[in-house]
Amino acid sequence: MVALVVVLTVVVLLLGVLVAGLLRSHADILKALHDLGVGVGEPLGEEDNGRSHDHGSASDRQVPVPFTMGPALPPERDSVSAPTIAGVTPDGDALAVAPAASGGLTLLAFLSTGCSSCAGFWESFRDQRALGLPSAARLVVVTKGPDREIPGEVAALASPDLAVVMSSDAWTDYEVPGSPFFVLVDGTSGRRIGEGVANHFRQVAELVRRAEVDATSFDLGVRAGRDVGLDGPARESANDRELRDAGILPGDPSLYPTSLDDLYGPPDARMPLARHVRKAG
Amino acid sequence: MHGCHWPATCARRADVPTLQAHGIEAGLPVGFEGRIFKRVGTGLEEPFAVAHFATFALPDTVGDFGGGAVNLMGPDDIFAALFEYGPDSIGTKLFARRGMPRELATTNFQPYVLRRGLVGQSGTQWFFTEAGRPFTLYVVLGSHARRASLVPRVNTLLSGLTVLPAVAPAPLGAPWN
Repeated sequence: MVALVVVLTVVVLLLGVLVAGLLRSHADILKALHDLGVGVGEPLGEEDNGRSHDHGSASDRQVPVPFTMGPALPPERDSVSAPTIAGVTPDGDALAVAPAASGGLTLLAFLSTGCSSCAGFWESFRDQRALGLPSAARLVVVTKGPDREIPGEVAALASPDLAVVMSSDAWTDYEVPGSPFFVLVDGTSGRRIGEGVANHFRQVAELVRRAEVDATSFDLGVRAGRDVGLDGPARESANDRELRDAGILPGDPSLYPTSLDDLYGPPDARMPLARHVRKAG
Repeated sequence: MHGCHWPATCARRADVPTLQAHGIEAGLPVGFEGRIFKRVGTGLEEPFAVAHFATFALPDTVGDFGGGAVNLMGPDDIFAALFEYGPDSIGTKLFARRGMPRELATTNFQPYVLRRGLVGQSGTQWFFTEAGRPFTLYVVLGSHARRASLVPRVNTLLSGLTVLPAVAPAPLGAPWN
């Protein structure tokens, strides 16, 4: 009988210690939540910020931490706005893309170098003509900035003619949950008109094609451009070739006229047409 | 109320998108795209900085002075190019002007000041030296008739451009000799 009483006493004491430990642990959790500003039953108001708590050395470290689910968007933006993406290219150049002002459709592909499911998209983008995107839609790849990605690795995956912007801010602005992720922006309305994840680029291209059809139906089409023949760097290279064939090389004195005589010759030798035009004008 | 919950991100974020590369810094007004780059040098040619700014989607390959881009412009569009020349141009008459023009007037734009004449457009070109670097600024308006509304937007762009002094190349050879 005495042995039974002793055993029961010991068990009760052990249970008492266990309950005390649980209460202590619970109190510590409540205290930690209170320090984080999410205490139960005692919301942390502005007046609490300066109130001192007797937490010993811990009171020196207490910092009010807002309880949020992720980065908050600036007040002028919402879930369909399409802010300008500014960053750097893998080559160290600077690049800013304003999809909301482009006038056409812009497909933003948020990719990483490390994600295995992105590898197929990097490979697909090596031949943009085979992607099946409407010709008026442009493709821009957005990776995180040089603080999170190695430019050399991005450059190794991206083809030279692929527009790539490295910008961590863009991932926050467009609320990108992870990679790969696609956002389609209509430059006419300046809004995001679609976003999501895809396993194959064919799915994305089909959605873009449908969006273009919708835009055309509502006369929201893109700029047609003017047919100007040879253009861009090819035109400038052709000009350089013509000059070189004519014997005019870099540094040729004829490229640096210092007077009108250098351009048109002496006044007596100038073509009479110039005088005629001047009279007529 | 929206706050700045990620201080590291917010500290870097500016009110306007900012580009910086090759000694050129640009705060882009709303609706502008931009690119600051250097072409790959060929042979003995040494490439210098080129900056393009546009209110429309810049193609991936654009000529130094807008070839391949100006033909895409609508009447309300603007294209601007800042092109750097080599140091041998410093001190020449062409680049005698000190500083980039920041306040252009509508009268500065003429339909015949175009590298590629396209009907309706007009342009202006300025040569100058800023921060010890010789540049030309070339601006095209999509519609000369709408210059009164376009030129203020150009001036807003120009007010956000900064040219930094050229950085001297690192000397070759061991520095301890």
